[in-house]
Amino acid sequence: MQIDFFQWLAGIPTWLYDIIMWLHGIIVWIFNGVWGIFVFVWAAVVGNFWFLFRAIIFPGLVFIVLGIIFAVWFTRKMWGRIQDRRGPTHIGKYGGFQLFADAIKLVSKETIIPDKAKRWMFRFLPCLLLVIVLLPFAFIPWSPSWFIADLSVSLVLIFAFLTAVPVIALLAGWVSGSKYSLIGGFRAANNQFAAEIPMIISSVGPTLLAGSLSLMGIAQAQSNVWFVVLLPINLATFMVSSIASVGTFPFDSPVADSEIIFGWRTEFSGIYFTMTYFAEFAEQMLYSAMMVALFLGGFHGLPFLPPAMNFIIKFLIVFFLYIVVTSSFYRLRPDQIVEYCWKYLLPLSILNVVLAMLAIVYLPGLAGLLMIGG
Amino acid sequence: MKDVLEEATEIWFGPQHVSAHGWAAKLTLVGDYIVECDPNAGYFHRSAEKCLEFRDFRQGALIMERLCMLEAFLAEYPYVSAVEKIAGIDVPDRAKIMRTIMMEASRIHSLQFWWGQFAAELGLFTMLLWPWVDREFFLDAFEELTGSRHAVSYNTPGGVKYDFTDKFLSKLDRAIQRLEERMPKFRDMLLRSPTFKVRTKGIGRFDANQGLRWGISGPNIRACGVPMDLRKDSPDENLTYDMADWEVPTYTNEDHPGESDAYDRMVQRFLEIETSVDIIRQLLPQVPEGEIYERKARGKVNRLPEGEAYGRVEGTRGVTSLYLRTMDKAQTPYRAKIRGPCFNSYYSLKHLVPGNKFADFIVIFGSLDPYPGWWDR
Amino acid sequence: MGFFSTLGDIFRILRHVFRQIFKRPFTYFYPFEDREYPERTRGRHIHVRENCTACKQCVRVCPVVAIRIDVMDQKYNKDAALYFDYTRCIFCGLCVQACRFNALYHTKVVDISAENREDLIYGPDEITTLDREPLEWRGRRFR
Repeated sequence: MQIDFFQWLAGIPTWLYDIIMWLHGIIVWIFNGVWGIFVFVWAAVVGNFWFLFRAIIFPGLVFIVLGIIFAVWFTRKMWGRIQDRRGPTHIGKYGGFQLFADAIKLVSKETIIPDKAKRWMFRFLPCLLLVIVLLPFAFIPWSPSWFIADLSVSLVLIFAFLTAVPVIALLAGWVSGSKYSLIGGFRAANNQFAAEIPMIISSVGPTLLAGSLSLMGIAQAQSNVWFVVLLPINLATFMVSSIASVGTFPFDSPVADSEIIFGWRTEFSGIYFTMTYFAEFAEQMLYSAMMVALFLGGFHGLPFLPPAMNFIIKFLIVFFLYIVVTSSFYRLRPDQIVEYCWKYLLPLSILNVVLAMLAIVYLPGLAGLLMIGG
Repeated sequence: MKDVLEEATEIWFGPQHVSAHGWAAKLTLVGDYIVECDPNAGYFHRSAEKCLEFRDFRQGALIMERLCMLEAFLAEYPYVSAVEKIAGIDVPDRAKIMRTIMMEASRIHSLQFWWGQFAAELGLFTMLLWPWVDREFFLDAFEELTGSRHAVSYNTPGGVKYDFTDKFLSKLDRAIQRLEERMPKFRDMLLRSPTFKVRTKGIGRFDANQGLRWGISGPNIRACGVPMDLRKDSPDENLTYDMADWEVPTYTNEDHPGESDAYDRMVQRFLEIETSVDIIRQLLPQVPEGEIYERKARGKVNRLPEGEAYGRVEGTRGVTSLYLRTMDKAQTPYRAKIRGPCFNSYYSLKHLVPGNKFADFIVIFGSLDPYPGWWDR
Repeated sequence: MGFFSTLGDIFRILRHVFRQIFKRPFTYFYPFEDREYPERTRGRHIHVRENCTACKQCVRVCPVVAIRIDVMDQKYNKDAALYFDYTRCIFCGLCVQACRFNALYHTKVVDISAENREDLIYGPDEITTLDREPLEWRGRRFR
């Protein structure tokens, strides 16, 4: 083929220009895209700044994780005190950084997965457990302004989330491929079977008195009188059944270390064990917070303190009671847990609701104090 | 009809189980019920009997006390007693009464250890630590007396090694006082605790005839109401239990007389401790002045004449005894056979456990106060 | 009444546990403070070579063969060098009891952990001297 060399030479600038324009187009396109994402994120962050702040920083994830770390330290220290020991002392002031040390140690350990375990589920279930236990914290009304979400059915939603916990425990026991962990999984399911009905019936009382299924609504309805005045037995039954549901000490048959080695958590090691361990304490904290919101007046309390501070003080007191109760009784057998939960807790919780209703009917002054309606 | 055993699951309880410290039992489960229990010994075997054949008569007691560190004063006594019988050593009166006092103190501290262990097996770690705190006072007293907390090496053929001091006596007194102060608290935490009652009542029940047939001795058989106690039945001439005024502690439950369950065995252990405290309190003022060691024994234990002897003592967990045979001018035993108290109670699990729930297995096991060192030697 | 007496028992237990929280803990801050060891504490040995007569009674009586003697290594008139193997020693006190010449004693030093096995075999230099005061450890002084 014949080429006109000078014509080809003359075409080079055009060709270069075209290439530059093409690159320019790509750069502009990328820049516009990035700018668009930036604008979108900026709008999302600024527009929802307080929501994001709540979800991530204060009543949200960071606060909860710090709370769990404090709860573990507090529990260990209190158990130490009760058992004539000192608890963790060496790392940090009064052993405050002990959990960080433990967590680093556990995370850096080898993850051992048994041969017979279903590997994918074995890795997935502890993560799911932690997520499911952390989700209901979104509905805890720390104060009238500091909360993440306020649904009209948040109480029902919390129970719905927490019902999944023993299912995960059962599955975890199943996929671990060990007889001991399978027994532990069934015992976890058994605990929930025993404890869930009394717990829900106990929370019916505050719901009826407040006329609302939202935790925020229940907490706001206690501005005049706390529901513990009317429902003291329900507080006790809720506490006992929540301990049974979590599976800590008097009701720790799912993880009974002298019977079945560590129950459904036997085969977990390293980071997965850390997650299940965190999930247990997160669940205890969640139930303590629910007890404060349902019975102990939520954020109402001393008027000169900020409402969130009131809530946290009451929360700590309830958590302390939790620790005292969990370190005073012997472990019950699984069938005994079912027996006592259904034979004593369920009638007692119903009885208290009935008594509260009668009190409202026959004491008209009391009904005026409560904001009944909705 | 379908056989239930077709659906049975075999599960090994031990040797890596957290509460199976040196033993293993094969359990056959149908649902939550145990239908068969096969206790296995041998995971804790240290060939102590063979070791005794290579140690001379001063050193043998050291092997014996390492079989069960919790009752070291008691565990080394059968060997010492057998050697004294063969060599014909007369023990001074002061050494006799000191031995008796220290054996009772050892019994108390062993029972306190068992309280804590049993509570931990039942899932309450608060009660694991509380009796162990009181036990520390006894250990401090032992250390003041002998220089070591557990491996005391106190008894020796011909007497005892270390004399009582004022500081030791005050420490022992303080330990007993603290024990008596805290006794009501332990009654509340153990015997009156509702959760303890529901876990232990009616669990692992056997009657006196069964127990005697299985060879169970000590507090486990006394909880059935059988006053079988070597301290009273065949008093050792080198021990001075007859100098104190005491009754054999037996417990009879009104609901099922002649039988004992896990709860009764716990009550029996409370009575045991009270009896031991009583004996110590009575013997302490009666300690005479004199030698604590027979001088002639020093030469006699080097070479023993030919003979055989059977030393025995009522241990914390039952009859502890040792058969010793020596040849003429022997430096070491020709044969030593140890009869530990826990072998029988461990193998009685075979009959006690089937029919119970899986969660009750460790309760039955713990209520018999077993110590693996005594069945594996 | 059974129900209420059970409730009473439960609250009594809770009271015991609650009271315990406000009591002083029983344990020590171990590396920083320690209890006083009694006179008869059977800790690591000390060998007084001036009194030793190389009679080998300690070697003969040792039930675990933890002591080795070197009679050729003489520093004084008729003494000998002792090598203590603390990986084997059970601290039974028989060797101290067997010594007629007051040449072997127990000390109050009971924490003799080491990083290597070889460090636990105390030669004549280490066994004749206390390398530290019994009440001092890691640069801190016990109360």
